[in-house]
Amino acid sequence: MSVVEIINRRDVGTLASFTLQAREELCLSEPVRLAKGRVHEAMGDSADMFAVLTASRLSGPIIWIGLAREIGSLAPTALQDFINPARIILTEGVSRSEVLWAAEQALRATCAQCVVIELSSGPNLRESRRLQIAAEEGGGIGIILIHGRAHTSACETRWQCEASNAGENAWVWSLTKNRKGELGAWRVHWANSETSGGAYEAGVIHLAAATAA
Amino acid sequence: MRRVLSIWLPQLPLDLRYRKDDPRVAECFAIISEIKNAWRLTHLSEGAMTAGLSAGLSLPDARAICPDLMTEPSDPVREAALLRALWRWADSLSPWIALDAPDGLFLDITGCAHLFGGEQAMAAHTRERLTDMQITSRIGIADTKGAAWALARFGQSDIKIAGAGKTVAALAPLPLEALRLPQKLSSDMRRTGLKRVGQLMEIKRAELARRFGLSLTQSLSSCLGHSPDPVSPKAADPIYAARMTLPDPIGLQADLLGVLERLSISVCKRLAGDAKGARRYYLTVRCVDTGDHVLHIGFARPTHEQRAVLQQFAKPLDELKIEFGADWFRLEAAHVEPIQPFQISLDQHKQAEDDTSKIISTLGNRLGFDRVRQFMPMQSHLPEREFIHVEAMDRREPVSWTAAPRKRPVRLFKRPERLVTLEAGRPPKRFQWRQSVYATQEAKGPERLTAEWWHSDFGSVRDYWQVQTEDGPRLWLMTYPGTTEPDWFIAGRFA
Repeated sequence: MSVVEIINRRDVGTLASFTLQAREELCLSEPVRLAKGRVHEAMGDSADMFAVLTASRLSGPIIWIGLAREIGSLAPTALQDFINPARIILTEGVSRSEVLWAAEQALRATCAQCVVIELSSGPNLRESRRLQIAAEEGGGIGIILIHGRAHTSACETRWQCEASNAGENAWVWSLTKNRKGELGAWRVHWANSETSGGAYEAGVIHLAAATAA
Repeated sequence: MRRVLSIWLPQLPLDLRYRKDDPRVAECFAIISEIKNAWRLTHLSEGAMTAGLSAGLSLPDARAICPDLMTEPSDPVREAALLRALWRWADSLSPWIALDAPDGLFLDITGCAHLFGGEQAMAAHTRERLTDMQITSRIGIADTKGAAWALARFGQSDIKIAGAGKTVAALAPLPLEALRLPQKLSSDMRRTGLKRVGQLMEIKRAELARRFGLSLTQSLSSCLGHSPDPVSPKAADPIYAARMTLPDPIGLQADLLGVLERLSISVCKRLAGDAKGARRYYLTVRCVDTGDHVLHIGFARPTHEQRAVLQQFAKPLDELKIEFGADWFRLEAAHVEPIQPFQISLDQHKQAEDDTSKIISTLGNRLGFDRVRQFMPMQSHLPEREFIHVEAMDRREPVSWTAAPRKRPVRLFKRPERLVTLEAGRPPKRFQWRQSVYATQEAKGPERLTAEWWHSDFGSVRDYWQVQTEDGPRLWLMTYPGTTEPDWFIAGRFA
């Protein structure tokens, strides 16, 4: 992946010119980068952790949107190793359309750098394009956690995230779809950063290339 | 020495109806209210009095005595509004006024009476003005609040004045109830033969306190001015509202927004002037055919931004069905709180915070504010009680999280899900959950958690196991120990 020119979103006049330009990217850990102002999909048993680790690299509130069952099962006690649970704003929709509406609103807000959307099945082209446009307006990162099947969508990347049996805080992430780059698979390991006194600092994500997930 | 004037409005609910030209007040009429599960007469008209009824009578008894009796339940809200209006009016008498709900006012008239030509003249003037407003009143003036209160209610005449320093003499002939004691205490004292306030003066204070408790001596000494009991004027909370009446009904969306814009400018300007903001706004739309419709919006933080109000009302106004138009509108700001003004352009952190509360407001107004929540830590060792959700709108201070003493799953199922054991073990070697089969590779446990016995639904002791499945997720298995054939559950899923 080449070095990208970082541009300020506000300098961009129109959407058309924006999409042609190089984008702001978030570096999780070399070489894994996530484009900002884009929506990404995550699947698999450890998709939650993909979202949480991404959020740990970003500042500001994390808007976590889903149905009552999913929102109710999220436990902050475990999350506090990675992020400050007070950052999370839980938003509960009663239907898929409400969840998608809330996701659009949240992605549009410039303050929300990270929006996590839980869906039972992946967004279709129409839904994902709407989310994509909202994300471009807001400039944050949207992560869709797909619990069921994924569909053809306009999302930037799709990640298959599984727990690794190498121990705690170890996962295997494989990039199964990428609109602007190569695919790949990585073994991921999280090391807690040496902080004290309740200061939340992003831990280190170690990546090692894996042949296949 | 302070001088206090107490106004008692004994017939306030009746006066309220009388002022509205209610014809029933002239006949056999009574106000009733529910006291201890029984409807009782509280205020009686002249006609009802002559029919032989008295206050405190239960409604069935009163009906038996006087079959023509007309009644109406009391309306505390309207009565309070009238009292409040009188409280504002009393500003013309003295600058130092306190409400004495539900049916009285206290005025500190120290240094005011000479403006009216003395205390007697002032009291007469006050009564006259109230009578002009068709309100019955009784007035007591004394050195203390308690004494003035007692004289207004238990004095022989409508105006009773105890001269400066003559409180003891004025109170002596009054019954014990004049001390504003709890019902039980005064009936207890009656049983011992104490009937008048004067009798108490002859007994040593210490003995009274020992027999009847400190509350008696306290109210006695505040009545006599031995302990301070000042008139504390309660500043009225201003009402931030605006209304508009139109000569002809309107129904087009653009017109409605135009009206709302004018109302919101007026309300928000006043809020901004007082450096205040409101968390809720109510818009009443009175349709010519279907009556009042109240729309409301909320904000995550108090605001007086007129544009935000307009924007949030756009959707509820759009959903409102108006067929024949509406001609009366009222916008009211509720939950008013002071806000700190800040400079927008220089304070980026503040700006981000502001954006966050904006998105909370937007989400909450559509989905409901109970659906936009945040985590709050709780003191408990049980995994499901370690945290709660609070409405994001309600949370004002940041909370701090202490590090978790033990490893907990990221997904915690509120109701543990039962699994099907395929190969028994502790924990099971192979099991089926959510239509998938898992094999245990490594298990850590048990972690035994006892129930919180101080809760009514404390449940029973539980054992938890951290299970690493072969090529699969890390799960949190749970069982209730002590059973021969234990049932296993999935309590959560680790990252």
